Amino acid sequence: MLAITMFLLTIGVFLLMTRLYARLYHPLFVPVLTSTVVISSVLILFQIPYETYMTGGGWIDSMLGPAVVALAYPIFRQKDVIKAHMVPILLGVLAGLCTALLTGVWFAKLFGIDRTVSLTMVPKSLTTPVAIPVSDQIGGIPSMTIVFTMIAGFTGIVLGPLLLRLIKVDQPLGRGMAFGSASHALGTSKAFEYGEESASMSSVAMSLSAVFGSVIGPLFVWLFHI
Amino acid sequence: MKLLKIIIQIAVLYGIYFLGEGIRSLLNIPIPGSIIGLLLLFTALSLRIIPVEWIENGARFILVYLPLFFIPATVGVINYPDFLSWTGVLLAGIVSLSTLATMTAAGMVSQYFQNKRKEVH
Repeated sequence: MLAITMFLLTIGVFLLMTRLYARLYHPLFVPVLTSTVVISSVLILFQIPYETYMTGGGWIDSMLGPAVVALAYPIFRQKDVIKAHMVPILLGVLAGLCTALLTGVWFAKLFGIDRTVSLTMVPKSLTTPVAIPVSDQIGGIPSMTIVFTMIAGFTGIVLGPLLLRLIKVDQPLGRGMAFGSASHALGTSKAFEYGEESASMSSVAMSLSAVFGSVIGPLFVWLFHI
Repeated sequence: MKLLKIIIQIAVLYGIYFLGEGIRSLLNIPIPGSIIGLLLLFTALSLRIIPVEWIENGARFILVYLPLFFIPATVGVINYPDFLSWTGVLLAGIVSLSTLATMTAAGMVSQYFQNKRKEVH
């Protein structure tokens, strides 16, 4: 009974927030962010532990795997565009990945954050299921990495559109590369608002970052003696 | 009828996801099963092992609701009340800055090389 309530709560809040977003269309009101805030507040208010919430929330969570698999469909539909732009795609993803791996650690050092927490930050741009094992492998704290990947995702969703306008990244390829490289699947869900081409580019960037990142991430830590 | 089709196609996507998970645990690699599944499905579609009609409706349906499927994971943040502190705000700021730098690098580098190639042709 509680599980069904949690399940319906999640879907109900999401549908409501989607309607709100359609009306306001402000980046701060993107449904995944507002729904998270509303549901978290409800759980804290009624003192429902996360584990209890997941008895029903877990049903929705279990759709995430097949949803990521489904991203192969827009990528497939755009495969000619991808083939034609292989070089800019690969260079964009590598530039993004190196920036993500290095700047987090550099900024952390600048502010005197301790080593373990800095290491925890390294995989934040990768999709959560990749970020967790990478964090573990390099000596970070995996559960904390989840929070960092979430912040990276929400930053891209909320501030990304403004940033891309400022730096004049206005083509579907550049946009998709930016969202997918920095904000993984959360960014990809935002990229769908720009159309299928941006979304598929974002999916490509996310997938390539995941594959490269799981290799390059640990290598970086070893190379730079972070 | 259309709903039944969507449900069956989502089941196919689930199957590919589990195949990806299976490969991951078999090879013991840090790449997640969902990403392996994505690569498998893309390859299968490209080689026409799976006709696109087999997954089209299901994939479209599931992708419309993509943000919904993240919510249970993002709600997990309530397990980390420590982040509601000054250190937490500082860490969030660092991650945000680094994320914006990443978007700038990935976006500008890819767009630069895309435009450069256009000029050559």
